[in-house]
Amino acid sequence: MAMLAFSSNAFLRPNPPGPHLRRLLLPKPLSSAAALTPPTPQADPTGGSNPDPDPTPLFLRPASHRVPAAALAAFRLRAAALVPPSAPHLRRHLRWLLADAAANDPASGSDPALLRASLDDLEALWLRHVRGRRPFQYVVGNEHWRDLVVAVREGVLIPRPETEAVVDIVKRVEGFEDGWWADLGTGSGAIAVAVARELGAAGRVFATDVSEVALEVARLNVQRYGVQDKVEIRHGSWFEPLEDVKGKLMGVISNPPYIPNVDLPGLQPEVGWHEPKLALDGGKDGLEHLLHLCEGLSSVLKPGGFFVFETNGDKQSEFLVDLISTKWSSFRNVEAVLDFADIKRFVTGYRR
Amino acid sequence: MARALLLRIARYPPPLPTSSAPALPLPRPRLLPQSLLRRHAPSQSQLRLLSSLSSSSASTTSSDAPSDGGGGGHKGAEGEDAKTGGCVDYLGMSDEELMEQCEMGTFKASGPGGQHRNKRESAVRLKHLPTGIIAQAVEDRSQHKNRASALSRLRTLIALKVRRPINLQNYTPPVELLQILPLKSTIRGKDVGPQIGPNNSKFSPGMQALLDLLFAVEGSVSDAAKILGLSTGALSRLILSDDSLRTAANELRASKGLKPLR
Repeated sequence: MAMLAFSSNAFLRPNPPGPHLRRLLLPKPLSSAAALTPPTPQADPTGGSNPDPDPTPLFLRPASHRVPAAALAAFRLRAAALVPPSAPHLRRHLRWLLADAAANDPASGSDPALLRASLDDLEALWLRHVRGRRPFQYVVGNEHWRDLVVAVREGVLIPRPETEAVVDIVKRVEGFEDGWWADLGTGSGAIAVAVARELGAAGRVFATDVSEVALEVARLNVQRYGVQDKVEIRHGSWFEPLEDVKGKLMGVISNPPYIPNVDLPGLQPEVGWHEPKLALDGGKDGLEHLLHLCEGLSSVLKPGGFFVFETNGDKQSEFLVDLISTKWSSFRNVEAVLDFADIKRFVTGYRR
Repeated sequence: MARALLLRIARYPPPLPTSSAPALPLPRPRLLPQSLLRRHAPSQSQLRLLSSLSSSSASTTSSDAPSDGGGGGHKGAEGEDAKTGGCVDYLGMSDEELMEQCEMGTFKASGPGGQHRNKRESAVRLKHLPTGIIAQAVEDRSQHKNRASALSRLRTLIALKVRRPINLQNYTPPVELLQILPLKSTIRGKDVGPQIGPNNSKFSPGMQALLDLLFAVEGSVSDAAKILGLSTGALSRLILSDDSLRTAANELRASKGLKPLR
């Protein structure tokens, strides 16, 4: 894998494993699902920070483990026994975990099977998902998003299905193919890569993030999809790294942290315990970063330039639409756009 | 459609109250007319429908939410909706245009969504508002891809269920129909190109035109075959070559009191 150019410890996180998760990781007999439901609610809030034995996303590891088909089948049964009846979606996750782990189609039933991780490693990964509520996407190191397989890891927001629509919104902008775009707070780089793949020869995406971890993952995704010549990754907070392209951008895209900070403690464990607060916490009313982005828009966009922000939904979008169209006269066609669940998820508009 | 609605209800993870529909935690109640919800609350039938889902989702050409045999299809067949919605060439629309006529639901419970949630549940359910036809897809890890396959299923279902009236006096088969005919058809010019089979996405428009014709000739395969320059046997073989086409043709024939093709 030549594209995995960064050092092997790139996927290590600075924090040492928390004691709780160490305990969760200790091998236990995988026999009874009952003992495990409901999932242990005591996980360490620094949650997913302990490194995997191998930091490379599972699906990118070499298939170097020969495992007898019978042993694999036994693992499948043991792992399935851990799925509580209340969480049937975990069965699908198990199927996907094995699909990512297998070098060839798991249905082909080859014996021995060729895997990308040992059964012990897979078992540890599965336990951390089922017991530790570590997001499945961090377990396998990817998320299937639009037509992409986006590499992710701890420290980077997992791209959400709602956000897929951002790319379609961008594609509806007249002449978007040859414009310069900015994806602010790019995270895994999912949006930047997906937009870059739609651009023409002159088109470009400046993908910025304040998190070094995010930029490393974004770089990997940019390389995996061969869009290095279209995506320029820049380190810094929001508009900071864009001084030299001020007034030249055709569009600004951002999915900034927008969760009101009062809502943070109540988040689903997979999100609240494991995903980076940096990418979720929108401060008071969830608007802190969105307001900053709105204020910076007119100085980076060229006249006629477009913006799309993802928001917390309905109320937040309505507030922003109202604010942008009344506070400043420099924007037109400001509107809220629905997501697939009919929530006003996006705010879009044009600079005059 | 009724069965599809039930499926949606059955798929919600938590057990649902069966007594009163308004208590259902649905994100957008207007998706589901409450009268329908009330009628279909009992949980016994939910199990039966779940098993029917698994069998029908194995087929690639028919939808997961199908076999309602009624829904938009029959309405069109009865000619009530056909006058308003039935003449529209839905299959000629781009994916985007078709999408705009659809309501997209998923099997997710309500909630704020977005950054709040990690649910890799990728089921997608499309409801085509003009016809009431519902198509869904669940297999893929990407919601985007599920949406694409739900859309392609929707096209198949529209072809199977939406009947457009034909004036037999001056009827010329459209090119989409010619393209799915075997080469030996005497009305098929050389410029039509190779025969398009059921696995091709262009099969749906041809299938729709074929069913329109069959509907216009009251289900008579021999009459339709004459118009298409084929032997009755050759047209029968074409209809039998695709499971969903065969089913639709036989339902149409049954409604006219004819025996099914075998």
